[in-house]
Amino acid sequence: MADDRSIRLRQVSKTFRTRGETFTALQSVSLDCEAGSFTALIGPSGCGKSTLLRLALGLDAPDEGTAEIGGLPPGEATTTGITGVAFQDAALLPWRSVEANIALPLDVLGKRRQDYAARIAELIALVGLKGFEKSLPGELSGGMRQRVSIARALVTSPGVLFLDEPFGALDQILRRQMNIELQRIWSESKATTLLVTHGIDEAVFLADRIVVMKAKPGRIATVIDVPFARPRDKSLFVHPEFHALNDKVARALHGE
Amino acid sequence: MANDRPRLSWLRNIAVLLVLWEIVGRFQLVASGALPAPTAILAKFWADKSDYPSHVLATLEASFLGFLIGNAIAIAAGVAFVMSPLLLRLFRGVNIALFALPPIAISPVLILTFSGMAPKVILAALGCYFATMTATVLGLSQADTRSLDVVRAYGGSRLDEMRLVQFRSALPSILGGFRVAAPAAVLGAILAEFGGGGRFGLGTYLLGSLGRADPPRLWGIGLMATLIAGLAYAGFALLGARITGSSRAVTVPTAAPSLAAEPSNRAMVLILSAAAAALLPLLLWWLLLAVMQVPEMIAKTPAGIVDYLFLGGGAEQAQQRLLAALAETLPITVLGLAAGLAFAFALAVLSDLFPAITRSFMPVALVT
Repeated sequence: MADDRSIRLRQVSKTFRTRGETFTALQSVSLDCEAGSFTALIGPSGCGKSTLLRLALGLDAPDEGTAEIGGLPPGEATTTGITGVAFQDAALLPWRSVEANIALPLDVLGKRRQDYAARIAELIALVGLKGFEKSLPGELSGGMRQRVSIARALVTSPGVLFLDEPFGALDQILRRQMNIELQRIWSESKATTLLVTHGIDEAVFLADRIVVMKAKPGRIATVIDVPFARPRDKSLFVHPEFHALNDKVARALHGE
Repeated sequence: MANDRPRLSWLRNIAVLLVLWEIVGRFQLVASGALPAPTAILAKFWADKSDYPSHVLATLEASFLGFLIGNAIAIAAGVAFVMSPLLLRLFRGVNIALFALPPIAISPVLILTFSGMAPKVILAALGCYFATMTATVLGLSQADTRSLDVVRAYGGSRLDEMRLVQFRSALPSILGGFRVAAPAAVLGAILAEFGGGGRFGLGTYLLGSLGRADPPRLWGIGLMATLIAGLAYAGFALLGARITGSSRAVTVPTAAPSLAAEPSNRAMVLILSAAAAALLPLLLWWLLLAVMQVPEMIAKTPAGIVDYLFLGGGAEQAQQRLLAALAETLPITVLGLAAGLAFAFALAVLSDLFPAITRSFMPVALVT
């Protein structure tokens, strides 16, 4: 397997047409995420940050430009099992138990569930859902479902991780907890990560660099590096420099 | 117990209805005895009890086979239509034709063309096709797009999406289709038994009893057919209710589904596919006859019909006869449609105002 775990987008554009109106979601956007880096995409709604992630993952095709994961077209790279993904909505299959939902990527990739039984048990413990292995999504709270989807994203031990507002639907307290957990998990795996978020503190806490985007047409406004050492823990949330960087990102978002 | 009250009132209403029916039947108040009393029907049914098993079995066998074949084709077609919207557009004409085809009109053609059980099975299968096909298409295309995204994010193919997400989430909808298809299959089989020349079957039995002027027996056969159809409906309704709960998405999609890019020559594609959709049923009709090698005398090709109606020697006569027949049928159709709609509407309004009415009328609505 290639050791290249980078994400590369070259001059990608994407336009949507709805009832005669055209909407330029992205205009010639280029972005490189080096292997083992953590990149956060932030911006107002309609700036194309989710579209950028979908193009990078091969869920949509760009009108112009190219996307690559580890030097391969996304469609090929994903079939090797190198990627993991979690969306804003847990998008669990309602008829599958917690265990079986976490195993979904294995079913798609044609891998044997039995070989991953230990991994699944470990992930369930990691996201704090021990005892709920056989529960159906309908029996879980929103936060628990989201944690199942995080475990599902990690089941293949991905080298490249795509997170589209994975904690967007959670309350602030739970979100911080999940941020701390994700930071710990990420420090161990060092997966190349692309995170779409609209939480400034979440981006600053988790990322190596923050890509600030603008709408109409969707494009990159500026890139802000995050210098904090790793591993980061919850003390960072109350650090003055953390707040200073939050303010810097906020100003960039407001176009100053 | 609060829960027992609706059930009790339901039973009471049924009892009132039965007593009313008994009185009307005893005193021959409807069409001088065409509506016999329930007790008379039961007594006749008991007297005829040795006749029923072979007839019921024959009808059940044909409906069951037709149900299997019709639904297998319907589900396969539904899957194909969801995978290819173009195919769905092309087959729109065929689908509508199959739905609008009056079974009573093609039953003689089928009986003349095929022999044995085939006409019954085909008519039963035809009765199933549309309901199940529509339910399959609806169910498959309503699958949660976000779950599909997850499958595709791991390089899942169109088939993987079908296998892992869409088919399972369409199951309640498909079972809903079966629920409608099951009584339709029984009805189709019985229709084909009219004049089918077979020895057994409820339709044959009914036809054989028509000449005897024996309303209780006719009602007994009718109620038996209704019972079979109703049981088939209820079976799938129960099954559907059991698995629906675990199929619903827990949350509602937040993002609107992205629209596919429209082709630039959209109007052209639409016109072409509409024309193809209109021609395809005719082509299939002609192909079927050619493959079956049905004699021209019995089964006409599309060209044969055009010739008969517009070009041939007796065209004018044929047109007049058809128009006269239409003049007979159309006013009745329109009146019946209006009356049926008005009744259904009134019933819906009433039952919303007085829920008890729904409970007591539901069995009647199912039987008719």
